[in-house]
Amino acid sequence: MRNWKTSIFILILFTGCKKLYNPPTITAPNSYLVVEGVVNSGSDTTIIKLSHTVNIASNITLNPVNGAVLTVESDQSAVYALSETQIGVYKAYGLNLDKNRKYRLRIKTANEEYLSDFVPVENSPPIDSVNFAIRSDGLNIYSNTHDANNNTKYYRWDYQETWIIHSQFDSFFKSNGDTVLARDYTTDQIYTCWTSTASSTIILNSSAKLASDVIVNNPIIFIPSSSEKLSSKYSILVKQYALTGEAYSFWQNLKKNTEQLGSIFDAQPSQINGNIHSTTNPSEPVIGYVSVGSVASARIFIANQQLPAWADTPNDPTCKLDTFYYAYTPKGSTIPINQVDQHINYNKGATYPEIPVQAISPPGSPPIAYTASEPSCVDCTLRGTNKQPSFWK
Amino acid sequence: MRKTYLISLCFLFFLQTALAQQKNIKLISCNFQQATIAQFAADLESKSSAHFYYDPTQFDSLRVTLQITEQPLESILYAAFKNTNYHYAITSSQQVFITKGRQIKTDLAPGFITIATASNTQTSAVADYTDDKDKNVPDATTENKLYEIGTRTNTIKPGNATLSGYVRDIKSGEAVVGASIYVANTKTGVATDQFGYFTITLPRGRHTLNVRGLGMRDTRRQTVLYNDGKLIIEMQEQVNSLKEVKISADKVANVRSVELGVTRLDIKNIKQIPTAFGETDVLKVILTLPGVTSVGEATTGFNVRGGSADENLILLNGATIYNPAHFFGFFAAFNPDIVKDIELYKSSIPEKFGGRLSSVLEVTNREGNKKIFTGSAGIGLLTSRINVEGPIIKDKTSFIFGARTTYSNWLLNLLPDAYKHSSASFYDVNLDISHQINDKNNIYLSSYISNDKFKLNSDTTYSYSNKSVSLKWKHNYSTKLFSLISGGFDRYQYDINSTANPVNGYDLAFNINQSNFKADFTYYLNNKHTIDFGLNSILYNINPGTFEPLGAQSLVLPQVVAPEQALESALYLGDKYDVSTNFSISAGVRFNIYNYLGPQTVDNYAPNLPREPGNVLDSTAFSKGHIINTYAAPDIRLSARYLLNDNLSVKAGYNTLHQYIHLLSNSTSISPTDVYKLSDPNIKPESGDQVSLGLFQNAKQNTIEMSVEVYYKRLRNYLDYKSGAVLLLNQHIEQDVINTKGKAYGAEFLLKKTAGKLNGWISYTYSRTFLKQDDPNAGELINEGNWYPANYDKPHSFNFTGNYRFTHRYSVSLDVAYSTGRPITLPIAKYEYAGSERVFYSDRNAYRIPDYFRSDFSINIEGNHRVHQKTHNSWTVGVYNLTGRQNAYSTFFTEQSGVISGYKLSIFASPIPFINYNIRF
Repeated sequence: MRNWKTSIFILILFTGCKKLYNPPTITAPNSYLVVEGVVNSGSDTTIIKLSHTVNIASNITLNPVNGAVLTVESDQSAVYALSETQIGVYKAYGLNLDKNRKYRLRIKTANEEYLSDFVPVENSPPIDSVNFAIRSDGLNIYSNTHDANNNTKYYRWDYQETWIIHSQFDSFFKSNGDTVLARDYTTDQIYTCWTSTASSTIILNSSAKLASDVIVNNPIIFIPSSSEKLSSKYSILVKQYALTGEAYSFWQNLKKNTEQLGSIFDAQPSQINGNIHSTTNPSEPVIGYVSVGSVASARIFIANQQLPAWADTPNDPTCKLDTFYYAYTPKGSTIPINQVDQHINYNKGATYPEIPVQAISPPGSPPIAYTASEPSCVDCTLRGTNKQPSFWK
Repeated sequence: MRKTYLISLCFLFFLQTALAQQKNIKLISCNFQQATIAQFAADLESKSSAHFYYDPTQFDSLRVTLQITEQPLESILYAAFKNTNYHYAITSSQQVFITKGRQIKTDLAPGFITIATASNTQTSAVADYTDDKDKNVPDATTENKLYEIGTRTNTIKPGNATLSGYVRDIKSGEAVVGASIYVANTKTGVATDQFGYFTITLPRGRHTLNVRGLGMRDTRRQTVLYNDGKLIIEMQEQVNSLKEVKISADKVANVRSVELGVTRLDIKNIKQIPTAFGETDVLKVILTLPGVTSVGEATTGFNVRGGSADENLILLNGATIYNPAHFFGFFAAFNPDIVKDIELYKSSIPEKFGGRLSSVLEVTNREGNKKIFTGSAGIGLLTSRINVEGPIIKDKTSFIFGARTTYSNWLLNLLPDAYKHSSASFYDVNLDISHQINDKNNIYLSSYISNDKFKLNSDTTYSYSNKSVSLKWKHNYSTKLFSLISGGFDRYQYDINSTANPVNGYDLAFNINQSNFKADFTYYLNNKHTIDFGLNSILYNINPGTFEPLGAQSLVLPQVVAPEQALESALYLGDKYDVSTNFSISAGVRFNIYNYLGPQTVDNYAPNLPREPGNVLDSTAFSKGHIINTYAAPDIRLSARYLLNDNLSVKAGYNTLHQYIHLLSNSTSISPTDVYKLSDPNIKPESGDQVSLGLFQNAKQNTIEMSVEVYYKRLRNYLDYKSGAVLLLNQHIEQDVINTKGKAYGAEFLLKKTAGKLNGWISYTYSRTFLKQDDPNAGELINEGNWYPANYDKPHSFNFTGNYRFTHRYSVSLDVAYSTGRPITLPIAKYEYAGSERVFYSDRNAYRIPDYFRSDFSINIEGNHRVHQKTHNSWTVGVYNLTGRQNAYSTFFTEQSGVISGYKLSIFASPIPFINYNIRF
């Protein structure tokens, strides 16, 4: 039902144009408290993040609130404390809450106290499957679930993607600054790395209009065929949350307000009303909705071999392989230059050091030169980690 | 033109010949070239038994050039002396007296011998134009002929008589709507109605009627009014003045009419305004008028004096059109080849209209040509159209047919690959038939259908359609009373379906049906009072939404929002009273009765608590036809005019209005999936009132019109929506809406030049519109219950629309528009949430998008003007948005890859050239 809007939008884009727009600097009179997180009713960790809003023009986006005291309270006065593990992040481990009780979150900041409404525990049914469909221009990933009790109806998902990246060139040597050595390929390889990213869009779906509580082929993400994610091996961990009807409206409203504006057929921005309120100033806006429940998750792996030929990432044309000699005599000169020191050994004068890739040695002789390239073409740890994640298989 | 003149003369002769032949009068042929009176008389004496008597000295300057075959003597004399100061008289013994200046009576005056009450005796050979001999109502085509109205009497009785009749186009026989008939010596005037009918009460005696019509040549008729009678005035089209801008048919109407805030535009004006894609658009043109704004280009709705887009009643030949746009607002759904004119009422809304708060836009189609078959075709970049019209029974019955379709798919094929399989199509078809049963009865059948279908990427199909049919019967009881009785059926529907995901395959449908009955009466009591009265009734039947599974695998649970029914009726009475020649009042009352009807289940809410699920006490089920509740209220319509002098008047008006049908829309612009909702026990009718004051002046023989109007308007129970409101398939919509108050005020300045090589208009409007939501029971307050500007609040608005005619074949048009940017709600703070930067919004509509400016240019090239050729063609070439300014259509802040960015979306952001080819046959 939204699609026609998208296409009108596209048509408008075609006849018109979309440009970056920076309105005159707007400064908010206040900053407001932002509360994000789910109280995990199972054995997993409960993570609540506290921050303050910042001005639109501000360079920082995250303004964490530290030193607050957070507790989860049941409607029968049981109290569970959270502790701040890093600035603005508050955690509690394995709360194992009673499914039949209602819970709320209490936040005491330096100056004020906030309370969420009491919310019921909504445990997510398991994810039936996460699957993918190959299209001519990329890959669609879907999730499926159902609730045999027809109770859940409202769902939210987020995900964590992890994929293998490769450097353009596989380096067998490294410089310690003074000299070039062979690389220890088991612990220090920089050709294969893993990189991760978390979801940044709100994914919602509901079976409220369906005869049974079934979610089929719920779109999680679309990966274009040209994406590096698919160049070797890709994995996605999909987490599924069950929501109350009220929480679903909150997320939907947040999505509408921050992801779906633009076409004039879209609803006008409106206030986002969460379930957290200041005890001293009830009209103060507080952003966020606290839900309580367990989380279901599922992970899949997609190897490049499972995909059509399109999934091969073209080489980065800016990556070039240079050759540096220990003794290079430029034309018209008789004094040889040590190019290896000049370009590779960073303690010996290489201002923009390159990383050696392979050695060039006449048969039976030590290397007389190395091929090398810029770090971004050789060192994958600049974009990820070369330690294989524990879940990887 | 001279030829037409001759043709009409011949037509007259034909009539007279026919009469003469019945009396077995000898027929004569003659051929005079610059003949003197002596030659003329001698020749005719030789061919007939007549004897001529005349004074040669009076005829020394007369030369007769005439060629006639087989005509009676009288016709020859008539033709020879017509339009001259010479008169003839024929006695029964074939004596012919030719005189200069005065006519000789060949009979004794009545009462000369007997003192009889012979006032009704026919005393002249001149045809009788009275009501009793309807079939012989002459077509008055000549300006210098003296028409005698009513039974001729020797002495003209004191007192008044009523003259009525029709003004028609001499070529097509079509009614000339809004033609003004102005009598200089009594300073009275009337305008013809939608059927070209007029009635004027004048003192008995000799009058010159000055007749002016839109796109017609000015003409006059000399009459002697003896008694009540009829006159048909045929006007000639103003062939010479192609593309002349005229706002109103009635050049004096600006100053003299009692109404304020009423604008009529002829299709010719509309056609010369450049539009994107070159498609003539009857809706875009009204945006150039003062007091009319829209939220952006290519939007369906328009806003009149601070009213929302659903507060405009859009009528096509009397049928309500709910969605007047094709392709989500890119094109108007009215075929410009069929439309005759449009009339917009912003302030003085006649009593016969009601049911909407802001304005009435009346789109009137042409009547088919009653004399010959003609047609036209047009080819544009995106659409083509054709129209055919002609007589079914000559001079009695005619039809007009128009159709339009698009081939815009080529545009979609230029879109990125993802949209390759999209398609869009629309069409509209009009068929109107008019039939004259006799002089007192006319019937009109109008039908219209428009359809839009849009398919995205082979999955979601979206379609919407307007349909209407109506039958009107016009009956004249007398020259003073006539009625227009009509019945019709209008429907608007949309349907969205998708099988992209078989499990979620759905079909969503909405429709609104209304059956109308209208009886409108006009009674010309005397020359001081014109009384309108009547009865309107609309039966609504709305299916607010059905959501059903589509496809065998679909698990969608059927969901139906219960249909709604209501009856909206109104009785009205209005009187236009000319208190004196300078002071006129129009006063009326329209009494509205609205019944919300069963079957329906209505929730009852606890009093003085927000309408929320928790506050539902119980619900009541009503059976079919049961009146669930009734709203009744009078609308008052008042306006007055005082003439300060011949060219300057001051006018004032006050009106109240009620609206019982609401468009539920929380987007900036009307979206095609918006639904209509009827007032019910939980949703009160909207109401509003407006007071306006204006100063009107004409200059330079009424070719320059100036006006200044100010208004203040209040709105009550205007619907706004709670945050996150769901409007579609909502079983309890009253829980998501909140009542809002509105106020709007403004000043409108308009300067028009209606004649000459350069013509057009300039308008400037200062206007503000504010809304306020302070209902303590609403549950939440928008902007803490303070006044906030409405989406379409654009304080400054300037428009120039002009046309310059170099020759009769070439003219250029320029259109310039400027307005303050509309209000928007901007983000004022940002934060991270759910893996992305997100924004926190300001108070509603606290900021504005950049100002809007656009200029368009077009050149109109007419083919040659030879009258006799098989086809006439014309070209329009132009550029839309000449300066290529990237006007903000909307601005928005959205997350992409976890970062919030502001974007400005512009449409038609570069100069868009267009070309249109039109052919008439």
